[in-house]
Amino acid sequence: MDLFAQERDRLLRTTTRFLGIACTVLSAVSLSFPGVATARIGPVPQLAVILPFAALMVVFLIMVGRSVRILWVVLGLAAGLAAGAAALLPDGFDGNGPLATAVIPFVGGGVASFALVLHSSRRRVALAAVAAVLVLAEVVLGTREVLSVQLAAVLLGWVLVFVAGFWIGNSVPRAARRIYSIGNAHRAERQASETEAQRRQGARLLHDTVLATLTLLAHSGVGVTSDALRAQAAEDARLLRHLRLGSTPQPQASGDYNLDTVEESPLGQTLESVKQRFGRMGLEVSWHGTGQVLLPTNVLDAFLLALAECLENVRRHAGVTEAHVTIIHDETMVRAMVTDAGVGFDLTGISEERLGFKESVVNRLREVGGGARLFSAPGAGTTVVLEAPR
Amino acid sequence: MSIDENTLGVPRHRRAARGLPTSSTGARSLRQAQAAGATLGTGYLGMGAAAVAAVQAVYGLIFFLVHLSSYPVAAPAIIAWLVYLAAFIGVVALVAIQGERLTGTVMIALSAALAVVVVLDFVAIWPLHNVGTYATASVSVGFGLLPLVTLRPAREVILATVVLFLLFVAAIVLTTPLTARTFPGQIAALGLACLPPSIAVYAVQRFRHMVQIELDRVLVQSNVTQPRFAVGMLASDELARLDLAAEKLLDGVATGEVPLPLEPQVASTAASLATELRLHLIEGRRETWLYHAVTESEYLGRAVKLADPSSLAGLLTPEQRDGLLQAVWLLLGDRRTRAAGTSVTLTLGPIGTSIQSMAGRSVEVPIDITSTGIRRNRVTPATWNALQRMGDYSTSTHQGSLRLAIRCIVENPADA
Repeated sequence: MDLFAQERDRLLRTTTRFLGIACTVLSAVSLSFPGVATARIGPVPQLAVILPFAALMVVFLIMVGRSVRILWVVLGLAAGLAAGAAALLPDGFDGNGPLATAVIPFVGGGVASFALVLHSSRRRVALAAVAAVLVLAEVVLGTREVLSVQLAAVLLGWVLVFVAGFWIGNSVPRAARRIYSIGNAHRAERQASETEAQRRQGARLLHDTVLATLTLLAHSGVGVTSDALRAQAAEDARLLRHLRLGSTPQPQASGDYNLDTVEESPLGQTLESVKQRFGRMGLEVSWHGTGQVLLPTNVLDAFLLALAECLENVRRHAGVTEAHVTIIHDETMVRAMVTDAGVGFDLTGISEERLGFKESVVNRLREVGGGARLFSAPGAGTTVVLEAPR
Repeated sequence: MSIDENTLGVPRHRRAARGLPTSSTGARSLRQAQAAGATLGTGYLGMGAAAVAAVQAVYGLIFFLVHLSSYPVAAPAIIAWLVYLAAFIGVVALVAIQGERLTGTVMIALSAALAVVVVLDFVAIWPLHNVGTYATASVSVGFGLLPLVTLRPAREVILATVVLFLLFVAAIVLTTPLTARTFPGQIAALGLACLPPSIAVYAVQRFRHMVQIELDRVLVQSNVTQPRFAVGMLASDELARLDLAAEKLLDGVATGEVPLPLEPQVASTAASLATELRLHLIEGRRETWLYHAVTESEYLGRAVKLADPSSLAGLLTPEQRDGLLQAVWLLLGDRRTRAAGTSVTLTLGPIGTSIQSMAGRSVEVPIDITSTGIRRNRVTPATWNALQRMGDYSTSTHQGSLRLAIRCIVENPADA
């Protein structure tokens, strides 16, 4: 609100400047027409007094546009009143003539423009009232009539400018209230969106099986029986539906995917689900070694994703239906060795990037402080060693 | 079930320019605020403009009735006033019934009516050979444009004002001999007719601009309370969309509606879906609130460059974040019309060692703010206050532009 109030004041001040300068220019043009301002103040032609004061007021208007200080408003009003007096009060002025008309835009618009910024406190309103009364007094004295067309026009100008300033000033808090209610709604929405995104991103294992199935579908499901693929798709669709409806999926048929936010998860149970999934797709996975290793959730996720990625590579490229996974662990690390007796390949011939190895396996493990190494030769099968910290 | 091709691979809806999902409240509010003739907060302004116009109309009408005896033929002027009042009341009634909007057709009809008013008024005062002194309804037309400023795009009102100005100039030149007695009256009438709509257009444009900036600021402000890393407003929307598309596809496969083996087209859809899903699961993890704030904001996004390789912004407390955001905002926003070259570069880190950090409880995050096109003496006190809330700072000047070094003390993340 603080900033917004400043902006409002700036809007009013620059509008003051615009209005004040435009009206002053109008009057200056009128007054400069030959024969309009004919009186003299002492030895000096009155125009030579009016114009400098008007110019001074323009300077103060510019300062009002830049600065919040009330001083410039007071000085501007003083300069404007002085210019008005120089126009209307000299002797030998015939009253209701063109000069009074020429000065109307100046005193009824230019000087009045300061009223735009004079509504926010009682002192300011009082200042505006005093200035208005002085201006009207000048006009009454100048035209020598209590009710003249000129007086009515000047009064109208002051009233309109004051109303406009008051109204603009009051529009701002209204707009601000709406803006802040939008802001509150937005903050709530952001929090909800954040929670939702975290929930969805947190369901990493679910997404991993979905991704695996989608990848299979991307290969038109070649190499997997239709029934197996349908069963897998049905299962994944069911889990996604649960996720969408807001519950945390608890898979049943695919083993224990542990998607709860527990700190540590046993490796053995989740390995079983990976095995089942590849079993459906026609790759028999044999497990050797440790069954129960507790890993932090993020490490477990990365480890399993990397492992599944390696098995997927075996399934797609090795040309065999069996793979072996050996899990060993010590105090600090858990290692998995994925071996197959397939076609193998020349490590120099095929870049790691081409297998998606670097992105999906190496980087994933590096994120959690582990790593991966790949050994293979044509005809001699492939071995991948995955490492992750416990 | 059929595969909705549009939902897969190709983004279904256009993303809002500033990175908000198009369906979000924020994006909706922004669209509303940016639309031509937007109504956020301007409705009340429009009422004020109508009040001003009404006051002037009463004044003009009284003036007209007082001078009625001078008119050789008063009928056209009377008709002009009746048409003007009818148009004015019509617009007010329409807005009261329909809400704050005015269709193009109505605007054209209204402009035609106002043109008729001006012409009839001029016809009536033609024999008097002094347009400036006797013009009444035609001057009020200028004020009549005021309420339209909040209802229609600025260019239409400007066009109408220009036409009004030209009509006045033409009438004055054709009818009125310019002498010292008549000249000031002509200028006064011209100013009275054309200045109000011009100033109203200026003020309302500024007002809209102001509301937009404030809205942007308020929306970005919601980043302050975010956790250290956040995915941003877009991620969840997109992820939900991808999940739904995958669910539909898998469901189709499961129920047999999508035959196996898949057609090449569907297969490639599945591939692109998998790729997008993978990207979305990776992205957004290492992005801080500050990154989101800068990318989501139209005003910061254009002028702020952020270098935060270690994601240190996430360590700042909400108070410090608020201070940083406000300081940057004020540095950039201080200039009403921001110069093209004005920009700010924020560099966070590397974490330094200081006495406080030796104790291990807290670390010092140095923030370096380099600016171009911001002179030190133009920085407002509010900016210094905002900087104070972040920590100790020192200022220097580099190539005529402000440079700030702030030392933010934050809790050590290793302790937390």
